[in-house]
Amino acid sequence: MAEVKVKKETNLSEPAEIENRIKELCQQFPQGITDQVIQNDLPHLEPQQRAMALNKLLSLGQLDLLRNSSGLLYRLKDTQSASKMKGSDNQEKLVYQIIEDAGNKGIWSRDIRFKSNLPLTEINKILKNLESKKLIKAVKSVAASKKKVYMLYNLQPDRTVTGGAWYSDQDFESEFVEVLNQQCFKFLQSKAEAARDGKQSPMVQRNSSFATSHEVWKYICELGISKVDLSMDDIETILNTLIYDGKVEMTVIAAKEGTVGSVDGQMKLYRGVNAILQPTGLVKTPCGLCPVFHDCHEGGEISPSSCIYMSEWLDF
Amino acid sequence: MTAQEIRLCGLLLQEHFGEMVEKVGTHLLRSGAQNLRTIVQETNLSVDLVKKCLCVLVQHGACCFTSGRKGPGSPTEYRACCDRILRVLRYPRYIYTAKTLYGDTGELIIEELLQRGHMTMSSTVKTVADRLTQNMEEGHSMDYSEVSSTFSKLVETHFLQRCPPVGGAGTSGSAAPAAATSAAAAAPAAAVSVAPPTPESFPECYSVPHLSLIGRGKRQLVPENGEDQRNAKRAKMDTETHGDEGIYWQVNFERFHQHFRDQAIISAVANKLDQTSSEIVRTILRMSEVTTSATAACTKPLSANEIFRSLPASYNIPRHILDQYLTLLVDDPMEFVGKTGESGGGMFVVNLHRALANLARATIESIVQERFGSRSARIFRLLLRKRHLEQKQVEDFAMIPAKEAKDMLYTLLSHNLVQLQEIPKTPDFAPSRTFYLYTVNQLPTARMLLQNCYKTVANLIERRLFETKENKRLLEKSQRIEAILASLQASGAEPEQLSEVEEMISAPEKQQLDVLKLHVNKLDSAENQVDETVFVLESYVSSTSTS
Repeated sequence: MAEVKVKKETNLSEPAEIENRIKELCQQFPQGITDQVIQNDLPHLEPQQRAMALNKLLSLGQLDLLRNSSGLLYRLKDTQSASKMKGSDNQEKLVYQIIEDAGNKGIWSRDIRFKSNLPLTEINKILKNLESKKLIKAVKSVAASKKKVYMLYNLQPDRTVTGGAWYSDQDFESEFVEVLNQQCFKFLQSKAEAARDGKQSPMVQRNSSFATSHEVWKYICELGISKVDLSMDDIETILNTLIYDGKVEMTVIAAKEGTVGSVDGQMKLYRGVNAILQPTGLVKTPCGLCPVFHDCHEGGEISPSSCIYMSEWLDF
Repeated sequence: MTAQEIRLCGLLLQEHFGEMVEKVGTHLLRSGAQNLRTIVQETNLSVDLVKKCLCVLVQHGACCFTSGRKGPGSPTEYRACCDRILRVLRYPRYIYTAKTLYGDTGELIIEELLQRGHMTMSSTVKTVADRLTQNMEEGHSMDYSEVSSTFSKLVETHFLQRCPPVGGAGTSGSAAPAAATSAAAAAPAAAVSVAPPTPESFPECYSVPHLSLIGRGKRQLVPENGEDQRNAKRAKMDTETHGDEGIYWQVNFERFHQHFRDQAIISAVANKLDQTSSEIVRTILRMSEVTTSATAACTKPLSANEIFRSLPASYNIPRHILDQYLTLLVDDPMEFVGKTGESGGGMFVVNLHRALANLARATIESIVQERFGSRSARIFRLLLRKRHLEQKQVEDFAMIPAKEAKDMLYTLLSHNLVQLQEIPKTPDFAPSRTFYLYTVNQLPTARMLLQNCYKTVANLIERRLFETKENKRLLEKSQRIEAILASLQASGAEPEQLSEVEEMISAPEKQQLDVLKLHVNKLDSAENQVDETVFVLESYVSSTSTS
């Protein structure tokens, strides 16, 4: 009771006290307080004084202004981040907020310009400023090598920006992919051969020649050829390239939830296969592989009678 | 009738029938249906010569005649069939198949029929018996009945069929317009129909006539060159009758093609799965040989019980293992075998059209792989599976660095193996606001590669002719020397004379001749190999046009 009285006396007099009270309220309600809450707590406060106090707190950077479906919300800002922004003006704070909102995907400078409606030169100055203060950093995107996206300093860039496990410093590691490709294929092939040599009934043979993506993932992890941690999705992309090479086929089966390696009640099974056809007859002739096939006519400069590829092939 | 096909037909006609026939044939191919007078005018050959050429073409089924466009009274028109002429390329394969299935007798029967076009059974049997007797030892000869039984077997399995009786079978020899018009008058039904009737529309197509043919093959004495020719001519005008006048036989190409297609499917299954599965598929195909029409999409359904009973005796696998194999065949992504019902332990069919599509796809993929490398082949297969993809997606799925993927895609695009589909976001096709999707269409690509195959075969034939022409002088010389040697040996000369004659060819010339022989053989075998590709692509294209 005494507390209330004291407050009542001090409320009407000093704006500083109003601000402190508002801050205490914010601390009580960490999600944020609405105008209504402040009014309930300080019924004698005039709206004008309230607004002044709120504005002061906002400009000091101690309160965050948010909007939700029912109106405006005021939230106490984290003091640590509040100290960071000391000395920077409103524009920088705006830009910083936009970058923060972009999360770990980062945001391009042109998009910052659109969102903040600031001219380009201002943006560039602010970005340089923030970078020197070590609040944000620039990350090169793999999609467009000239494009730089900005994100908060301590955030880990998202996969789509850096390209994930296959890119190291913006370079696509093709040898790494090739090595993984061959290893997976060898694993599946040896499994298929072992199944064939087993000489059991055909159903068992086929089923034992299958390997789930989880098994392949474990095998690759145990091999230890990768410096980067590979997830099952990564291994599946590698196995997909093997399917496009025609060396492997895939089926999906329904699996119980909770069995190792199942995703949404399904499991992908992979198995090495042989080609169904030998290289076809056309490619056994020089014409099938000839780079100037369409320029070749009888009586022309390039013709079957004078073809050097044919002469070489015949003398082979 | 594309330019490449006409060029190839021209080369084949020239090699097998001579220049005059080639002129008339290519003229007919280029200009469509024409009557005799127009042909004579445009080819500048005499009427007799044109008539003889047309005879040859009709005898081999490469040309058909119909009544004129303006009604029953107008002169008949002749039309050449490009497909039939292209079959000439496949003759060695037909003869080889007959040899594997029916031995030397079958081989010679098919060879005779291919050479002569249409023949009666009796004359075929006699000629084949004579040829076989020629190669046997002294004192042995081939009995006519053996040859007749092989002939009947060939007819039973539909490899041979009767020629359709177009206006009286006696016109197989001459195709003179007079006979044709009288035939048109006598058989108004045939004149009314637009397309020539297929051989199979006649009920007696595969019935062997009763022959009174008894005897053995005659061995020919070794005559002089001039006498030999006279003998050959005399044999053609043999006037003995054996009760089968007017019944002419021809080779049933469709049946051979079915056989080749079955072989291709069986070997594909053997490569993909294992030997036993391919045997099961072979059994199913064998049982449906004569019950399935050439253009059917699937074979007739067969129950698992029937398959089990008809498996070859060497494969005594228990019933439940057979069921497992059949289930595996049905589950295979290639979809060679399908299950259509549950009665009788499961009804199974072989999906012919799908199998042909898969074989054609594998052929196209192998062509791309050999020509452009395995990474381009990866991109190609990716586009076949996923249909439409953007540039970025292609790079991501195929895991190929962006620069190289771009290069490969543009190479494939320039060779027309990959197409670009534009999807605009705005009505003006502004490049920055359209999606560009890469795609592969299997059927047009197959057609394009088929034309490439025809061009390749034509190139190989031309090169072979060029090589023989280059060394003509040398070949003639060697032929003369061989003739001299043969005559000397026949008249009993001493070894010194023989060696003297042999030395007329110097060693480098002999080497050159060997090299030439090697080259010609290589080119010949290459033609046959390309023909295999032609067969797969042609079957695929024709299967899609009927379905």
